[in-house]
Amino acid sequence: MSKKQSKETKPKTGLARCMELASDRKVLVFLAAVLSSLAAIASFIPYIAVYFMIRSIISAFPDLGQLDMGKVMSYGWMALAGIIANILLYFLAIFSSHMAAFGTLYDLKVLFADHITKIPLGYHLTIGSGRLRKIMDENIESVEGFIAHQFPDFIASITAPIVMVIILFAVDWRFGLASLVGILLAFVAEFIGFGSGAMKENMAKYQKASEEMNNASVEYVRGMSVVKAFNQTASSFKKLQEAISGYTEWVLKFSLGWQNCMPAFTTIINNIYLIIVPVGILLGSNTSDFTGFAMKFIFYLLFVPAIAGVLNKIMYISESFMQIDGNVARMDEILNIPEMPETSHPRRPKGEDVAFDHVSFTYTGNSEEKALEDVSFTAKKGQITAIVGPSGGGKSTIANLISRFWDVSDGKITIGGVDVRDMAQDELMRQVSFVFQDIFLFKQSILDNIRMGNENATEEQVIAAAKAAQCHDFISKLPYDYHTVVGTKGVHLSGGERQRIAIARAIIKDSPIIVLDEATAFSDPENEYLIQKAFEKLMQGKTVIIIAHRLSTIRNADKIIVMEKGHLVETGKHDELVSAGGRYAQMWDHYTEAIDWKISGKAV
Amino acid sequence: MSKLQKALFLSDKGYKDLKKAVFACTLTNLAMLLPFCVTVMIFSEILTPAANGGSVQWNHIWMLWGAGIISALLVFLAAKNDYRKTYIASYQESNATRLRIADHLRKLPMSFFNTKDLSELTTNMMADCSSMESLLSSTIPPLIANGITVTITCILLAFFDWRLALCVFCTVPIAFLIIWLSRKRQIKLFEKQVDAKLEASDQVQEYLEGMKIIKSCGLSGSRFKTLDHALLAMKKIAVKAEMAVGVFMSSASMVLQAGIGITIFVGAVLLTSGQIELIPLLMFLLMATRIYGPILSILANLSSLLNLNVVTTRMRTLLTTPAMAGEEKTVENCDIELSHVTFAYNQDDVIRDVSCKIPQGSVTALVGPSGSGKSTISKLIARFWDIQKGTITVDGKDIKTMEPESLMSYMSFVFQDVTLFNDTVMNNIRIGNPNATDEQVIAAAKAAYCDEFVREMPDGYQTILGENGSTLSGGERQRISIARALLKNAPIILLDEATASLDPENEVLVQKAIAKLVEGKTVIMIAHRLRTVVDADQILVLEDGRLVESGTHSELMEKKGLYQRLYHIQQESLGWAV
Repeated sequence: MSKKQSKETKPKTGLARCMELASDRKVLVFLAAVLSSLAAIASFIPYIAVYFMIRSIISAFPDLGQLDMGKVMSYGWMALAGIIANILLYFLAIFSSHMAAFGTLYDLKVLFADHITKIPLGYHLTIGSGRLRKIMDENIESVEGFIAHQFPDFIASITAPIVMVIILFAVDWRFGLASLVGILLAFVAEFIGFGSGAMKENMAKYQKASEEMNNASVEYVRGMSVVKAFNQTASSFKKLQEAISGYTEWVLKFSLGWQNCMPAFTTIINNIYLIIVPVGILLGSNTSDFTGFAMKFIFYLLFVPAIAGVLNKIMYISESFMQIDGNVARMDEILNIPEMPETSHPRRPKGEDVAFDHVSFTYTGNSEEKALEDVSFTAKKGQITAIVGPSGGGKSTIANLISRFWDVSDGKITIGGVDVRDMAQDELMRQVSFVFQDIFLFKQSILDNIRMGNENATEEQVIAAAKAAQCHDFISKLPYDYHTVVGTKGVHLSGGERQRIAIARAIIKDSPIIVLDEATAFSDPENEYLIQKAFEKLMQGKTVIIIAHRLSTIRNADKIIVMEKGHLVETGKHDELVSAGGRYAQMWDHYTEAIDWKISGKAV
Repeated sequence: MSKLQKALFLSDKGYKDLKKAVFACTLTNLAMLLPFCVTVMIFSEILTPAANGGSVQWNHIWMLWGAGIISALLVFLAAKNDYRKTYIASYQESNATRLRIADHLRKLPMSFFNTKDLSELTTNMMADCSSMESLLSSTIPPLIANGITVTITCILLAFFDWRLALCVFCTVPIAFLIIWLSRKRQIKLFEKQVDAKLEASDQVQEYLEGMKIIKSCGLSGSRFKTLDHALLAMKKIAVKAEMAVGVFMSSASMVLQAGIGITIFVGAVLLTSGQIELIPLLMFLLMATRIYGPILSILANLSSLLNLNVVTTRMRTLLTTPAMAGEEKTVENCDIELSHVTFAYNQDDVIRDVSCKIPQGSVTALVGPSGSGKSTISKLIARFWDIQKGTITVDGKDIKTMEPESLMSYMSFVFQDVTLFNDTVMNNIRIGNPNATDEQVIAAAKAAYCDEFVREMPDGYQTILGENGSTLSGGERQRISIARALLKNAPIILLDEATASLDPENEVLVQKAIAKLVEGKTVIMIAHRLRTVVDADQILVLEDGRLVESGTHSELMEKKGLYQRLYHIQQESLGWAV
C-alpha cells in the first residue's frame, strides 16, 4: 500500500503527491522529465541558427562573394535539426509520461475501488455514491492529465528559463541582466494578480457560487416532477435563475480582477526588447569593436521574443497547479479513511450460532445517538430468529453488523463462539449470506449474477440453484436464457424475479448463516408465492435471521426479537408475545387492522 | 443564421459578441506586430553602418525606442480590450444559455423527468455550459483571430518578396492537410476513447451501487472482473489514441516549422545572387522565427474543437426535445374517458387499445401482474406522455389540447417515490399550495398524520430535511406527500399503493391519511394488494397492456378469470409463514 499516505509523515499535496502516486513508474517519469528538458533546450536551436546565419552574412558584407555558402546551408540544416529534435524529444517525453499516467490511473482506480470496500459501509451512506463516483471518474482522472501533460510541461518550464538565462548571460552579461529585469517584471505583473488578498477572496466566492449553481441545478431537475405536479415551475425556476446570476456575477468579478495584470503580462513578455535597446545604445555609443557589439545586440533582439513563449507556458502551468491540489485532496480524503482492522491471527468459528453479547452501536460516533444499546441474544443453528419492530428500531442495523459492514462500539458479536473481528474477512463472508431488501443485479449475464455467490460453481450448479429459487422457468423464457445480460433492451425483470435471482445467488453460496431482509411485500401475487417457495429452500437447516415486516410471516419462528429505538424490548414465540399483551401484541393489532383496510371514496 | 453560429449554438447576441471578440483579438495580434516592425527598423539602423560604413544614428534609435514604448502601450490597451470583450461576452452568453436550458426544461413533458440518466443530464448540462464558456473566452476568438492575422501578415510580406513569403508559408497548407487527412482517424479514436470512458464510468457506478453484494461475495477491487476489464480497456485505448494524436500533431508541427530552414536556404541563395537586400532578408528570418507560434496554437486546439461537437450535440438534444403544446382550459366535471388508447415508449406497444370510463367521484382500481401497464395508464391520464392512438378526455376535452400545467392543476399524485427538497418541513408541505398559511399547512399535516412525528423533530416544522429527506422513514415520506396533496385539494387523485414494506403502525397511519385524501374525489388507484380494493366502484384488470376484465369485486370473482386467480394466490401467500 505504498500509494496510501503513511500517517507519520507529513501528508503531501499537489505535485509532490502526484509524484508519489506515480512512484511505481519512476523510470518512465524520469525519462519524461529528461526528454522534455532536452526538448526545451532544443527549442532554442532555431533561434541560434538564424543568429549564426546573420552573423556570417554580416561578417562577409558587403562582399557577398566571400560568403561561405556551405556554412550558411549548414545553419539551415541546424535549424531544421533543432526543430525536429525539439518535436521528437517532446513527443517521446509526452509518450513516456502518458504511459506512466495511464498506468498510474489504472492502479489508482483499482486501489480506490479496493479501499472503499474495506472501510465501514457507513461511509458510503454519508459520502454518497454520487460523490465517490465523481472522485473515481473526475478527480482521479485529473491526476492522469497532470502526470501526462502538466508534469513534462512543468519540467520544461523550469529547464527552459534556466537554459535561457544561461544563454542570455553567456553572450553578454549586461544584456543578460537587462533581459532578466524584463522577465522579473513579467513575474511581478503576474504575482500581483495571483497574490492579492482581494483576488483570493474572489476566487473563494467564485468557487462557492459555482458549487451553489451546480447544487441548484441538480435540485431543480430532481424536483421537477413534483414542482410540475403542483404547478410551481415559476418559483423553482426563479431559484435556479438567482443561482445562475450569482455565479455569473462572481465569475465576471473574478475574471475582471485580472483585466490589468493579464494584459500587462502579455505586454511585458512581448516587449522585453525595449529594455535591451537603451542598454544597447549606451553600450554601443561607447564601444570600440562596433561589429562585435552589433552582433550581440542583434542576437538579443532576435532572442528575447523566445522568452514570450517560455513564460506563457509557466503561466498556464501555474493555473493547473491550483486545480490539481483540490483534486488530489478530494481523493486522499477518502483514501485516508482507515480500513476496518483485519486480524493478524484469524480464527475459524467452531459452530454456527450467532450471538450478540451486550452490543451497542452508533452510526455517528456520538454516544447520545445510539442505534443499538446493550442488545444480547443468540440465534441458534437450524432455528429461525425473527427481528421485528417499527422502522428506525434497529432491525437493519443488527443485520448489517453481523456481516461486519460496521464494527460494534461496545460488546461483541460472535459466530460459533468467535468474535467476528477475529475472523478473516473472507472467512466471515463464507459464513454469512445476505438477501437484502434492495436487490441489485449487475449488468452482466444472469449466469454471472448468480455465480457471484460462488465463483467456482459450474453452469449445472447455477441452474440447480436457479431451479431451487424458482427462477428457472422465467430465465428459460429470456432471449438468451442464462446468458441474457441484465439491463439490455427488451429484458424486463420484475421486482419479484430480481428477488428470486438474489435468492439463487444466496443458495449457490450455501453459507451456514442466512440473514434475510423480508423484501417487497406486495410486488404481485404470483411472484410473491414463488419468492416464498424460494425462501423455504434457502433456509433449510441454516441459522436464519429474518427481518420481518409482515408479522404473519414469522408466526412460526423459533424466536421473535422485538426492537424499538435501539433496545431489545421483548423476546419469545408468537403466541407467548401476543398473550403477554406488550409491544408485540400492539403491533399485531395494527397489523391485522392494516391488512383489512379497504379504500372507498366515502367519508370516514 | 450563419454556420458558425449554428455550430457553436449561439444566440444572436452571443454571435454578435463573438464577432466583436474576434475583432478585438485580431486588433491585439496586429498590435503585436508593432514591436516586430520596430525591431526590424532598429536592425536596419545598426546594420546599415556596419555594412556600408558610416556611423550609427543613435538619436534615430532613441526615437525608435520611443515608438516602441508607444506601441507597447497600444499592445496593452488592445490586450485589455480583448480580455474584457472575450470574457464578458462569453460569461454573458453562457449565462443566457444556462437560463435558456433551465427555462426549456420546465416545459418538457413529465416523462422526461422519469428517465434514469437524469442526474447525468443535469451534470452534463452545467459542465457543457462551462466548457462552452472557456471555449468562447480563451479558444475560439484567438483561434479565428490568429487565422486572420496570419493571412494578413502573409499578404503584407508578399509585397516585399513573394518568393520568401512563399518559403515562410508553403508549409502551412501541408501541415493543415496532415491534420485534415488524419481527422477521421482522430475522431474515430476519440469516440472509442469516449465509449471506453463511459463504459468504465458505468462499471464504477455498478460497483458502487452493488457494494454490499460485492463485499459479501468477496469481489473487491480487481477481483471484480468487469470493472477491471473496463479500466484496462480504457488504459489501452487511451495509449492508442494519445499515440496516434501525438504522431499526427508532431508531424504536422515539424512540417510547419520546417519553414524556418527553407527560408534560410532560399534566403541565402537569393542574397548571394543579389536578388534580395540584407534588411528584407533579416525581416523574413525574424518573421520565420515568430509566425509559427500562433499557427501551432491553432493546431493544438483543433482537438478541443472536435470535442465541441459533442458538447453542442448534447445541448442541442436537450433544447430540441419538444415541449408539450396545449391551451389553458378549464373543465367543469372530472369524468375521464379513455377511448382506444394505444401507447408505446419506443417501438413495442405497452398499452393496447384500452377503452374505459372513469366517472367523477368514483374509485377506480387498476390491477394486474407487474409489467401489465397499470402505472403507465395512470401516467397517461396525467399526460406524462402523449399517446399514439386513441384519445383521453376529461370532461369531454382531449387532454392533448390542454396545457400540461392546467391539466395538472386538476390532479394530485401520491406515488411511491416521494421527492423531498432540501428545505423546511413546512415548505416541503407547502409545495402543495404556495399561498397556504402556516395554519393551513399544519392542518393538512395533522390530517395526514404528520403532525406527531414532525413535532418530535429538532425544530418542528422549521426542521430542514436535508438532501432528499434521508432521515425520514418510508411511511413518513408518504404521509408528507399526502399532506401536500391534501393542501392542493385537486378533484382527481392518482394513487400508487406502496409496494415497499412499511411497518404496521406506519402503514395504518398512511392508510388513514389516504382515506381522508380521497374523500369525495375521483380516485384512480394502482393497487398491489387486491384486498384493498374490494370496495372500489370499478376494478380494471390489465394484462400485457390490454384491459382483460373490468367490474366490481363481486362481478369479477364470479367471472372466475384472471382477477379471481390473482386474488386467491394472494390470499394464500398472505398466510405464508416461515
